Amino acid sequence: MIEIEARKDLASRTERLDAVFAALADPTRRAIIERLSRGEARVTEVAEPFHMSLNAVSKHIRVLEASGVVERQKKGRDHILSINTHSLDAVDGWIGRTRSYWEKRLDAMEQLLRELKKEQKSAPKDRKHGRR
Amino acid sequence: MAGDDPAGPIVQLRRRVKATAEEIFELWTKPDLMARWMSPFPGAVDCKASCDFRPGGSYSLVMSSEEARREVSGTYVQIDRPRKLVFTWMGPLTNHVNTLVTLELNPRGDETDLVLTHERLPTPEMHVGHTKGWGHILDHLAEVVEAS
Repeated sequence: MIEIEARKDLASRTERLDAVFAALADPTRRAIIERLSRGEARVTEVAEPFHMSLNAVSKHIRVLEASGVVERQKKGRDHILSINTHSLDAVDGWIGRTRSYWEKRLDAMEQLLRELKKEQKSAPKDRKHGRR
Repeated sequence: MAGDDPAGPIVQLRRRVKATAEEIFELWTKPDLMARWMSPFPGAVDCKASCDFRPGGSYSLVMSSEEARREVSGTYVQIDRPRKLVFTWMGPLTNHVNTLVTLELNPRGDETDLVLTHERLPTPEMHVGHTKGWGHILDHLAEVVEAS
């Protein structure tokens, strides 16, 4: 995870995406994000509901920061955490591109099925694969 | 959304197709037919497909237009003719990261319910947390598309 942080500036879209996925792949970290999705909070507030040391929670928070999903601001003595919603755009982007790709492919598949049925009607002898 | 314990974001499309499962299965597995619909380039300028159709066998698709060329490849994971086909998928769409595509065909009379699931495979880092799924906060990231 520290490596991910070090590479962040150079990271390609893939690497950033993988960092976000890796950050989100842990139940504690997802719970932290869920808490922060309700609004920004101090580190101590975020750590409170977990049955683990503040230090252990802080490690998870650092992974989230390294991935860019969570941001930390200092306000006086308090460290305020918030979600960088922009970081999730990469995930949404992959989903959108993939969905759109397959929508178009399936349209083309259905078009080909219609063409094949027409060919079949006009030349039934060419049918290669018989049913049962 | 597909499976009890998804490891990453999932894209799922469902369609009722006016064809038998066998007819659809052929389009996904015979290279000459694959080449006729899998290319994203309009007019299907050039598309070459090849496949070693057995579990563990690999396939590749090379699609080119005048200015662009795309190559997709992967390995067949599960073949259950004509109901289910599972294969890995690596190409520009996935930033050349290995992903998993599952095609399920459920006959409905002379039509077929097609369910296509495309999911990212967990990266090695993802195993560190002994993750159990993504949890409901990420549900909004998983898209289920109901088409026609």
